[in-house]
Amino acid sequence: MLNNFTRLVANENMKIYYRVRTWVMMGILVLFNAAMPVMLYLTDAPMDVWTVFTWTESFTIYLSAIFTVVIAADIVAGEFSGGTIKLLLIRPWSRGKILLSKFAALCLFGLLCAGITMVVGIAVSMLLFSGNAGFSDGFDGSPMSNSLLLLLTDTIQVFVISLIAFMLSTVFRSGGLAIGLSLLVLFTKDIFGFIFNPERFVWAKYLLFLHTDLSGYISSSVGPGGVGLGFSVAILAVYCILFMLVSWLAFTKRDVEA
Amino acid sequence: MKQEPLVRLLGVTKKISSKVLVDDVTFDIAPGQIFGFLGPNGAGKTTTIRMMVGLMSITQGDITIGGYSIRKNYEQAAAQIGAIVENPEMYKFLSGYNNLKHFARMMQGITKERIDEVVELVGLGNRIHEKVQTYSLGMRQRLGVAQALLHRPKLLILDEPTNGLDPQGIRELRDYLRRLTQEEGTTVFVSSHLLSEMELMCDTVGIIRHGKLVDIRQLRTDEGERMFEETAFTVSDADAAAALLQDYQAIAREHSVLVRGDRDMIADINAALVEAGIRVYAIQPVTRSLEDQFLEMTGGGSLVE
Repeated sequence: MLNNFTRLVANENMKIYYRVRTWVMMGILVLFNAAMPVMLYLTDAPMDVWTVFTWTESFTIYLSAIFTVVIAADIVAGEFSGGTIKLLLIRPWSRGKILLSKFAALCLFGLLCAGITMVVGIAVSMLLFSGNAGFSDGFDGSPMSNSLLLLLTDTIQVFVISLIAFMLSTVFRSGGLAIGLSLLVLFTKDIFGFIFNPERFVWAKYLLFLHTDLSGYISSSVGPGGVGLGFSVAILAVYCILFMLVSWLAFTKRDVEA
Repeated sequence: MKQEPLVRLLGVTKKISSKVLVDDVTFDIAPGQIFGFLGPNGAGKTTTIRMMVGLMSITQGDITIGGYSIRKNYEQAAAQIGAIVENPEMYKFLSGYNNLKHFARMMQGITKERIDEVVELVGLGNRIHEKVQTYSLGMRQRLGVAQALLHRPKLLILDEPTNGLDPQGIRELRDYLRRLTQEEGTTVFVSSHLLSEMELMCDTVGIIRHGKLVDIRQLRTDEGERMFEETAFTVSDADAAAALLQDYQAIAREHSVLVRGDRDMIADINAALVEAGIRVYAIQPVTRSLEDQFLEMTGGGSLVE
């Protein structure tokens, strides 16, 4: 059964990677992960490898977020707009398994983006810069582990945002709406965090916006509104399960009409 | 001789909010038949098909395919179905071959050889390796048939299959479906609003109107002969003949009587007429086109509402 399920995921992968669009996005991601260290090198600033990589990653993670959201928004809604959903859903597979295969392919794409950032960004940074040049980043711990932890927390954030896109894609069956709304969340979450300040409203600490970015915990053990890392992770988990549940209900229970 | 039906619709009803799209439809389809599902646009044909393939939920009733319920054992029921629902929309950015590979992966035991065989069958040839984007509508139809046949389904469902096909394409499809039922024993379910097409293609037709099944009619005998609905006896005294043939529910016309019946019955009737001293000048089958019958049954008027 598991073997068969991997064939569903292989199908979803085929539909992602046989498109020119995907390779353009990959190309841009590779290009910027290589270009950022080069541009920093040209400024002649005294920087070390891990600072350069942190700066590079802080920029390219937005590209990863946009690209993953584009894939997430298209993976379900694209089947509806292309009409192929009819041929996909009449196979001897429950809708839940088909949705799960799409989700798995999406996660793999997100990991691929993180992998490209890590490999290309670090390799080019190491090529151009060496050692620790005394540029303090103010964090505890080694520069390398801080840098990698930042990539991890940013990737988690990309995961949450693309899960929102995936849910909207499934609920509205419209890719454009899913891309727009989920990126809106990514770019405006800080404003919402400011308006619904957990210092002022007790309930505000349960909002998703405050917890998508876990990178604050790299330097401090206290998060927004005085909560800890465990609390933030629990909030994220609850929201993610909720988003998956909504996607599942929308995909499995609704009719496919003309 | 009654075979176990392959498809059973049992009181199938579809309601969306308070609107009843399909109302308590019940019928069986025997294996190896070409069953035509006829009705005006908007009568509930596509809704019924969407329920049969699991794209729409069933409000009431159930559909079984080879004994498996679409509601309770969807995966087993769906494994026996190949279908094209409305237009065959494939992944345009993939080649025809990769589209087939995609659907082959979703089913059990489809070998590479089987994919090649199906490509050969629908006559796509080398163009199978080009992107679907570049295909004409006719080629997309062929690719649609190919994906529906990959797993040798027991039931092939085609929704308006002649849409967008030229006369030659329609002819090919008709011959092909006939071959499929004879050689592989496939049961075919086609929907259409084109009566003349259905008449040439189908063994049995079901007629749906306003979501209700109006009639089921056999067009061909089990031997594949066209069924004659009525036979006309041209006689010397029509009224006397009609009186004599009361048991057969004969209808008197000006110079003839109309009787429904099979070959043996016609011979019996002839003998009875001769015995009673009524002269029989001619015995003719009366074939009325499906269109005539359909209009008669639905009271004429526009087919499209």
